[in-house]
Amino acid sequence: MKPIYKIALFVVFFMALAGILTGLYLFNLQHKDLKNVKPDFIITAVDLQKAFESNETSANSRFVKKVIEVSGTIESVKAGEDKSLNVALKTGSVLGSVICTFQSDSEASILKVGDNIVIRGECSGFLTDVLLNNCAVVKGKS
Amino acid sequence: MKLLSILILFLVLPLTANAQKYITKDGYIGFFSHAPVEDIKADNNQVASVIDTSTGDMVFQVLIRSFHFVKTLMEEHFNENYLESDKFPKSTFTGKIVNLSDINFSKPGTYNANVEGDITIHGVTKKVTAKGTIEVVDGGINATSKFNIAPEDYNITIPSVVRNNIAKIVEVTVTTRYTPLGGK
Repeated sequence: MKPIYKIALFVVFFMALAGILTGLYLFNLQHKDLKNVKPDFIITAVDLQKAFESNETSANSRFVKKVIEVSGTIESVKAGEDKSLNVALKTGSVLGSVICTFQSDSEASILKVGDNIVIRGECSGFLTDVLLNNCAVVKGKS
Repeated sequence: MKLLSILILFLVLPLTANAQKYITKDGYIGFFSHAPVEDIKADNNQVASVIDTSTGDMVFQVLIRSFHFVKTLMEEHFNENYLESDKFPKSTFTGKIVNLSDINFSKPGTYNANVEGDITIHGVTKKVTAKGTIEVVDGGINATSKFNIAPEDYNITIPSVVRNNIAKIVEVTVTTRYTPLGGK
């Protein structure tokens, strides 16, 4: 075989390998730790709930699927299934709170009712509460 | 949509004088798909539900986007391709406990419940029945149920390339802890 074909074969082989590895990487990709992701919006829990209550459609198109950094006072901390944690932030609304779901309870010790906190989460939308998922604590009470 | 939510959650249930309503906003609904290629699991810990113990009425509401998958690509396909959560962001169940007389909500204990109602997924509404348990505890009610759903029934089309990765029948698990409405 001429050297040029050998090189060509080599290149094709490596491109195929790179393709397969990229595919596998993308397929197995897990959620990012939002601590290290720049937020799309920085807002208080009060204003976030207000935005959804006054116009859900426009708030949906603004906030859903976005990373939101929300600040507020912890209203309740509840354990969910599979070691998940639901932290509700006070909004002053009779309708609901901003509910932040943590996939793990590893930060439970720094989440205390009445504390002021800054949490980053991905917005899923609104039922009677604004719902954030995949949450992480950005700034808690030290 | 906001009005609709309030309507469904609070007003659909008859407002009788002795109505006993219990509520949760942190309920759990998960589903599990077992297929030869892989098992897929998704969790939603943001389930809103109200139960009226005087009539047996039950209402559930979830956002499709609140379902959490371990793999982000799966979550993306679930939202963009299968459930089309931009078009159909919510899923609801409105139904009734049909054997209400078997359950004594004022006496702590575990009771079997049969529930019938309408479930809406992906814009398609179907009648479903499910068996579950109601546990009356101090200061609240715990409810659990497991039932099966066929994605095909809700016009959820799964491309042939990945058909062997996703089960024809998906097992749904519901776990909710209710507290009296108005109380904390």
